[in-house]
Amino acid sequence: MAARVLQQCVRSFARPSLRLCSGTLAVRAAAAPTAALHRPLSFAADSRRTRWVGQRRIPSVGVLCRQYGDLPPLTLEGISERVMYVLKLYDKINPEKLEASSHFIKDLGLDSLDQVEIIMAMEDEFGFEIPDVDGEKLMSPGDIMQYIANRKDVYE
Amino acid sequence: MTVSRLPTAALSLKQFLQRQKVLGIYRNMLKTIRQVPDETDRKYLRDWARDEFKRNKNATEQDAIRMMITQANNHLEELQKSLALARS
Repeated sequence: MAARVLQQCVRSFARPSLRLCSGTLAVRAAAAPTAALHRPLSFAADSRRTRWVGQRRIPSVGVLCRQYGDLPPLTLEGISERVMYVLKLYDKINPEKLEASSHFIKDLGLDSLDQVEIIMAMEDEFGFEIPDVDGEKLMSPGDIMQYIANRKDVYE
Repeated sequence: MTVSRLPTAALSLKQFLQRQKVLGIYRNMLKTIRQVPDETDRKYLRDWARDEFKRNKNATEQDAIRMMITQANNHLEELQKSLALARS
C-alpha cells in the first residue's frame, strides 16, 4: 500500500504536466499517514528506508525538472542564426562569402577534415550528437539547418 | 559497350570505405582530444592531429593508407589510455 502510494507520488513528479507544488504536497501528506499506519506490519528499518528515499529523491527530481525545462523553444530563424554564427566564428571561412546555400568544399574551399570539424562544432552548439552517416551528408549551412530542424521537430 | 555513368574521378568502393574510415578516426580523435583538461594542450593536440592527417592527404596506395589507419588507431588508443590514467 505504502509502496503503491510512493510509486504514484514519484510517477506524478516524473510527469511534467503534474509538476504542481500544491498537488504533490497533498500527495506526500496523504502518503505519510498510510506509511505510519503500515509500519507495525512491516520491518521498521525497511519502512524507514523507503520513507527516507521518498523524501530525499523527490526534491532533487523537482530541481532537475526545473533546470531542463527552461530552454527557450527552437525556431527556424533561431536555428539559422546560430548555425551562421558558429560558421562565422570558424576561422577558415570567409564571412563575406558565406551564404546558406554555399557548398563547404566547392564554394568555400574547405576540405573534408574541416567539414568534420564544422559538424562537431554544431554538435557542441546544439547539444546533441549527429551520427557519422548523417554528418557526412551535410555539405552546406542550409543542409545543417534543415537537419537540425528535422531532428528537433521544428516546423513552420 | 557499356559506358560507366560514374565520373572518371569517382572513388572505387574500397577507396570510398577507406576515406570514410579515415574521417571517422579524425572525428574520434577530436572527440577524445576534447576531453583533455588543459586548453593549450588541447590546441596543440588538435593542430598535431590535423597536420598529421594533412601531411598524408596525397597518399594513394591502399596498403600505405591501411598502415596509416592502424597507426592512427594506435595513437588514439594511447591517447585514451593516458586520459583515463590522468583522470583516475
